[in-house]
Amino acid sequence: MASTAADSTAQAAPTAPPSLILPPSQFARLQPHAYLLAHLSPPASSQQPSLRANGRSPSQFRITSANTGSLTHTNGSAVVRLGDTTAVCGIKAEILHTEDIPSWSVSHSSSSLASNKRRKLTSPAENLGADREDGSEETDDDDDSYIEDFSLLVPNLSLSTGCAPGFIPGAPPSALAQSLSHQILSLLRSTRIVRSKDLQIWYQRPNLGREELEVHNEDEQMDVDVEQDRSGGATPEPREIKAFWVLYIDIMIISLAGNPFDAAWLSVLAALRDTKLPRAWWDVDNEIVVCSDLVSEARKLSLRGLPVASSFGVFEADAAAGWRAVLIPDAEEERKIADSERKGIRRRWILADPDGYEEGLSLERVCLVVDRDQGGSGEVVIVKLEKNGGFAVDRKELKQLVEISAQRWEDINQILGQC
Amino acid sequence: MMGGPIASLHPLSRADGSASYKCPSTGSNVLGSVNAPVELPGRRDALKPEDATIEVFVKPGTAPSGVGERYVEGILRGALSRIVLGREKGYPRRGVVITLAILGGESIGRGGSYLPLLPALLHTSILALLSASVPLSMSLSATMLAVNPSGEIVRKPSITDARAAASLHVLAFTSKGHLLLSESEGRFNFDTWDKVYENALAVCHGTSTLSSDGDVAMTENMDTQPLEGFVRDTVEDHIRAEYAWKVDAA
Amino acid sequence: MTDRRRINGPPGGTRPPIFASSLESTSDIVAERPQRQRQPNELRKIFLKTGLIPSASGSSYLEFEPSTSLSAARSKPKSVIPPSSSLKLACTVHGPKPLPRSATFSPNLVLTTHVKYAPFAGRRRKGHVRDASERDLGVHLETALRGAIVAERWPKSGLDITITILEAEDDRWWGDAPDSHDAAWGMMNVLAGCITAASAAISDARIDCLDLVAGGVAAVVADETAGRETTSQLMLDTDPADHRSILSACVVAYMPARDEITELWLKGDNSKSSVGTDNRGLGHEALIDGAVDAARGAHSVLAEAVRESAQRFAGLPSGDFT
Repeated sequence: MASTAADSTAQAAPTAPPSLILPPSQFARLQPHAYLLAHLSPPASSQQPSLRANGRSPSQFRITSANTGSLTHTNGSAVVRLGDTTAVCGIKAEILHTEDIPSWSVSHSSSSLASNKRRKLTSPAENLGADREDGSEETDDDDDSYIEDFSLLVPNLSLSTGCAPGFIPGAPPSALAQSLSHQILSLLRSTRIVRSKDLQIWYQRPNLGREELEVHNEDEQMDVDVEQDRSGGATPEPREIKAFWVLYIDIMIISLAGNPFDAAWLSVLAALRDTKLPRAWWDVDNEIVVCSDLVSEARKLSLRGLPVASSFGVFEADAAAGWRAVLIPDAEEERKIADSERKGIRRRWILADPDGYEEGLSLERVCLVVDRDQGGSGEVVIVKLEKNGGFAVDRKELKQLVEISAQRWEDINQILGQC
Repeated sequence: MMGGPIASLHPLSRADGSASYKCPSTGSNVLGSVNAPVELPGRRDALKPEDATIEVFVKPGTAPSGVGERYVEGILRGALSRIVLGREKGYPRRGVVITLAILGGESIGRGGSYLPLLPALLHTSILALLSASVPLSMSLSATMLAVNPSGEIVRKPSITDARAAASLHVLAFTSKGHLLLSESEGRFNFDTWDKVYENALAVCHGTSTLSSDGDVAMTENMDTQPLEGFVRDTVEDHIRAEYAWKVDAA
Repeated sequence: MTDRRRINGPPGGTRPPIFASSLESTSDIVAERPQRQRQPNELRKIFLKTGLIPSASGSSYLEFEPSTSLSAARSKPKSVIPPSSSLKLACTVHGPKPLPRSATFSPNLVLTTHVKYAPFAGRRRKGHVRDASERDLGVHLETALRGAIVAERWPKSGLDITITILEAEDDRWWGDAPDSHDAAWGMMNVLAGCITAASAAISDARIDCLDLVAGGVAAVVADETAGRETTSQLMLDTDPADHRSILSACVVAYMPARDEITELWLKGDNSKSSVGTDNRGLGHEALIDGAVDAARGAHSVLAEAVRESAQRFAGLPSGDFT
């Protein structure tokens, strides 16, 4: 039992009268720092392993489960439980007509070929990005900027669900909810996980005679384009993008017990893997996009990679270490102390997947998002690294954390594979 | 070769402390003010009994602030709260309010990366905190490095370099050489990050801490002064100017 | 209008997908219309569990059994359009806790209720800001619970009840056009679910109540199987997607031990049914009785869930229950 360690410390003071002995739960509330420290550094005589107050070892994550496709009205959904933290993600797809995009007619000629050419000239970054993309299917990479330019991915995270006492329901999103939403959008963007190709709705102009074309296209500009296409020897396909799918990705944190980012990101990932978009086409007669309701015609998104997030918190034995100005050793001394630490008393612990209680006791946070090349068999790639708020995690520690995150990737890959 | 950053202390007369900072390579220009210690009347329940509450506000120049600003405010708060000595006399249960206005540079789009602005924001904050005489345990310096698709590390990347980069890294070190903050995005492996770390440490602290890698140190000397020295010099210059009357009189 | 605290979609707005089958006005769609497979007085099974959200003082999760058509569509999906949906909601209770400094003195427990649909809960995407119907549900829920809680035991305290609806009930079958006697029928089922779930969460938070309040729904529906003349019939726990036309519906919050109704919400036109038939059993009284019967059914599930919650509470040493 994990609580026995605290028990022994709580009762350690022999002079205290029995009435002052606190049950572990009250000790945990009154002296949270001492409580966790007592668990992590049990007295040598007690022969107990160093465990956290929740019974986990420092590098152990909570039991994680994912369940997809249970929500009826979504294109893709997932419920992820990370211990007591629960995130529900639902993805609803709606249609953005190009005529509703103010800048579309100006910046995009109706021929896809021309627009691709233009993009190649104006945004070298995108192309360089395409070059380093591993291996296959590089053809679609050059128009990925559609997703950014037209806001095709709309993630929002809500904490106003009564998930924890501090958040007032009905109030606008807290600073935490806002920054989590931003982190998710920014990660969707930097990992380029959703392909623009999957979100485009095309109109294949029928290869009809000239008269037919005139009937169909009152729009003058289109006619001009068609003529140009014909005059220029190699006629490109008369295709044009008529609309895009917009994915509204909403994450409701139903229960918050620490580490909301890992849970939220995993729910997004699982929901994206579950998402199916119906076949959609441009209906010329009604001038709208029409979808097929056949499941057999709907298709899944082809995602790029499987970036998995792992968060860590640092717990320091000396709670006041940060503010005793004169006593902070410099980086060199720090390393020496760290070396000698192996023999003596530990000063700090890096705790994987901190729960709510531990989050309140750790200032320094690390978040690593890792993926593997070539669909899971290749090298471990870091796609995002965030370390902030302290001095404990340096190069050596980060190297270990990358290894732990890589192991976590394997576990998550397995969990997602099963649902 | 582009020149070093330009900074001035105390450009605003009404704030307790202020600083402006301009980074020539990214073009970012930030004006910051610090008011401390101040009473925060609306948040009496949220105040910590033995520590100061640090509030950071980031105001973009052209657009209204959005979710991205809340995020970067969180990062800045995390880094600065480890440096500010909030338990010194007069600070507990009070606030340290840092307001940063982005005056120039590339505006950050929806969900865009804040990394190119982060060093400027950190430097402005630390200079403004110094200017307001807020007790600090250490100073800090930060830099952004880009790794281009062929694997080379680009120092002082421009906005164009940053866009073309395979990965972007912002690292901040305390004046005692601890890694205080590291924010990276893109695709990279740990070895790349390790090289970036060496480089960033050289940019921030120059040769003194680089004992093993002599080559990097030599080139660094010829380039510019380390950023840590820059923060120090800015403060020294300011003090010299402030106390000119006394120096003259003596 | 952009919301600076959220991530916004395309400024020009987006349109929900339009399906080809809904454009063609043909007969083969009618064949897919879901039919009620239950007896008129047979209730759907309710899954109710307490204590899933440890950071709250009390919590519950409620789910209605999916209808036959929905579970058939789940196991052998043919169309991407779901035939109906089943209610799923999570409820948390925070408190009793001290009222904020600014609040005026109250000798009783101050009850606050919030009901919010997740944006993906319905067929149509919901906004992030609470709309009129969500506020309405909150008020109804508050009236339903206020009468049951022994409020004078906690002076100067507040109790926050928050419900997040993850999946809502439809107001009608998706293929039907909205017509004249159409109303937000799905909302009434949602309210009944909210009442039952909130009651379980309040007991889970160990707040003293007079009795467990359960919600129940009954409706008078126009029977479509009879081809000649529309005959009306009283049904308990109606799924609006199952019926072509609902004439009136009623939701009650009911305390069986005291035989008291704390909340009554009746909607629709009852005159039509009483004129059309000689059946006198379709007046308001019958409708309310039906809803009470449905609530009794929900109460048995509720009692079981609360018993589990109490066992969990008693089974653990009180110290571990933080």
